[in-house]
Amino acid sequence: MNETAAYVLLGSLLFAIGLVGFLARRNLIVIFLSTELMFQGVVVNLAAMSRFHQHVNGQIFALHLLVIAAVEAGIALGLVVLLYRRKGTLDSQRWASMWG
Amino acid sequence: MDVESVRFWSLLVMLCPLVGAVLAGALGASWLRRATHWPAILGVAGAVVGAFMLFGEVGSAAQGHGAVSVMIYRWVSSLPGEWFDVSVLVDPLTAIMLLVVTGISLLVVIYSRDYMRHDGHAVRGYERFFAYLALFVFSMCTLVLSGNFLLLYLGWEAVGLCSYLLIGFYYDKPSAAAAAKKAFLVNRIGDFGFGLGILLIYVTFRSLDYGTVFAMVEGGRTALGEPLTTGRVTTIALLLFCGAVGKSAQFPLYVWLPDAMEGPSPVSALIHAATMVTAGVYMVARCGVIFAASPVAMSVVAIVGAFTALLAATIALVQYDMKRILAYSTVSQLGYMFLGLGVYAGSAAIFHLYTHAFFKALLFLGAGSVMHAMGGVIDVRSFGGLRRVLPWTYRTMVVGALALAGFPLFSGFWSKDEIIHAAFVHHPFLGIVGLFTALLTAFYTFRMIYLAFFGATRTPEGVHAHESGVWMLVPLFVLAIGAALAGYVGVTIHAGGFLGLFEPHAWFQHFLEPVMAPFAVHHVEIAYAGHVQKYGLMYLSGALAILGILVAYALYVGSPMLAMLARQAFPRTYEVLSNKYYVDEAYQAWIVEPLRRVGRWCWGIDDYFIDGLVWLVTAVPRAMAFLLRTLQQGRLQGYGASMVVGLAAILVAMLWNWS
Repeated sequence: MNETAAYVLLGSLLFAIGLVGFLARRNLIVIFLSTELMFQGVVVNLAAMSRFHQHVNGQIFALHLLVIAAVEAGIALGLVVLLYRRKGTLDSQRWASMWG
Repeated sequence: MDVESVRFWSLLVMLCPLVGAVLAGALGASWLRRATHWPAILGVAGAVVGAFMLFGEVGSAAQGHGAVSVMIYRWVSSLPGEWFDVSVLVDPLTAIMLLVVTGISLLVVIYSRDYMRHDGHAVRGYERFFAYLALFVFSMCTLVLSGNFLLLYLGWEAVGLCSYLLIGFYYDKPSAAAAAKKAFLVNRIGDFGFGLGILLIYVTFRSLDYGTVFAMVEGGRTALGEPLTTGRVTTIALLLFCGAVGKSAQFPLYVWLPDAMEGPSPVSALIHAATMVTAGVYMVARCGVIFAASPVAMSVVAIVGAFTALLAATIALVQYDMKRILAYSTVSQLGYMFLGLGVYAGSAAIFHLYTHAFFKALLFLGAGSVMHAMGGVIDVRSFGGLRRVLPWTYRTMVVGALALAGFPLFSGFWSKDEIIHAAFVHHPFLGIVGLFTALLTAFYTFRMIYLAFFGATRTPEGVHAHESGVWMLVPLFVLAIGAALAGYVGVTIHAGGFLGLFEPHAWFQHFLEPVMAPFAVHHVEIAYAGHVQKYGLMYLSGALAILGILVAYALYVGSPMLAMLARQAFPRTYEVLSNKYYVDEAYQAWIVEPLRRVGRWCWGIDDYFIDGLVWLVTAVPRAMAFLLRTLQQGRLQGYGASMVVGLAAILVAMLWNWS
């Protein structure tokens, strides 16, 4: 197994863990953390591929993504705070008001 | 007559009550409260002043120049050269009508100030009452002043609306709400014909202005210059008469008037006795040219009038509700007026309208005073001997009753005699019906008086009976004076000036002569002497009135047993009469129920067939939604899972293609 494959595997593993967390957990913050985890999996993948292709594009993408992720984290946590204030809980099930 | 002053005073007559109504309605509930009668009283008083000034204008004009038509503004201008104005026509007929309408209105509004309170507390809706009342005066003045058919129609419908609103004044009482609805619907039937008549006038003459239309009828030409056929005139006249039958409660549309007594008594006095119900009489007199041009229509008017007079008088014989007795008597007296019009005695009809307004308003206000004192009870069986409890109400009501009965020298005597006389000249049968009805009138009027005011003093339990206050008594006194003396403006040669005691000046008839000219064309003045002895009829009708009063006295005061015996002797007749000939029941069974059945049928079609179709159409999106909405459960994890599944599917597809 070469170096790249290991990194790709690590990225996929991070993505899979994030996915499972996203689907299984109910706490809004944990769900959000899981999506971040998936994100980072993708970023690791991009960095690995950049190295593999000996091309800088992947790294530039990765840097962009990190910035965007930071911004998005700010917004998402703000939303989580608002949602918490509305219902007094972080349970995502409580927001299933469209269930019909 | 000065056009500018006529314009000013007619505007004053119309606008004062309107302003009063608006003020009472807008400020009454929040601000004026218990003083809300003031805008109404002042507004109507302004109209009275205007009416007197107009009367002066007409009276001072030279003979034959006492009519002026004034355009106030252009209302609708439709086709080039065709328009409708808001215009007023002031002539002797208008002047008389305005005096009657505004004068009685003022007295009734003053009376209502006390009537609409109990123990000093204004009833609920006090301000609403006065706003409606003033609005009615405005509508009625518009109707009377109007110089064309369109504005007449506006006033006609507006008084109908006010009548509806005031009959249903106690709207939380089911019977009052039903009576208001009945009055409105029955009037709609008549007004439909009236509306068609106006449309036919427009189609025929291309104008709705009185002057233009009447000139063309007299010239016998339509707007296109073609000769006017008698059939067309008859159709127009009969359609217009349809409206009069509804508004003036003639057979077969009289059924709403007795029920309209559910309204407060001042309303019954003003709208359902003195003014609104005479609008039909006024309209036929106004359109005298059209009616006189059609002998068929005139006969219909006369026969309907005579028949209604007799029919209503017989029903009134056995009623026990004081206001209903008076309501049937109003129907009967209106019948007299139409009889007068139908036999070409237009001025006699208007004369009777004028005297009737006094004594019938008086009787209704008196009945209201009794009702007020009896705590709302009006059934003459539940009280008696009231002449000791309500001395002033009793005295004034007796004056009114004498006038209604046609007792010699009281106002009703002069006017009723005129009509009966003209009826005899026209056709003896109509005259006999009129005389017989006069006998019945005297009987039922005094039956009511004797039952209520004579015998042992009885009042309903728990009622502290007391004479009414000054606000109610003053209008009664004024009307009593009118009921006694109003007839002297029209002392005529037919009544022989009553044994030569009075100068037979016939001032009223001469005053109206210019307006009543179309009737006079066919009126055979000289024939009087030939048909009926000069004094004979006067003796006869006076004697019949006294006879009716005496019979009533014998039956209800002398020996009340006789009345019981009479009832038992003719049980079937009594049954039929006290059930008002089952007319209401017949209408219910043959008209209302079938219509209701049709309505239910239509409703069924709508509910099952049409709604079913719509339901079927909507079923398609509903079924799709049923399938699709399970995809959207609102659970975050659910969406996540479907995303993953989708992603997996795409991946699988890609891998598949790759290999």
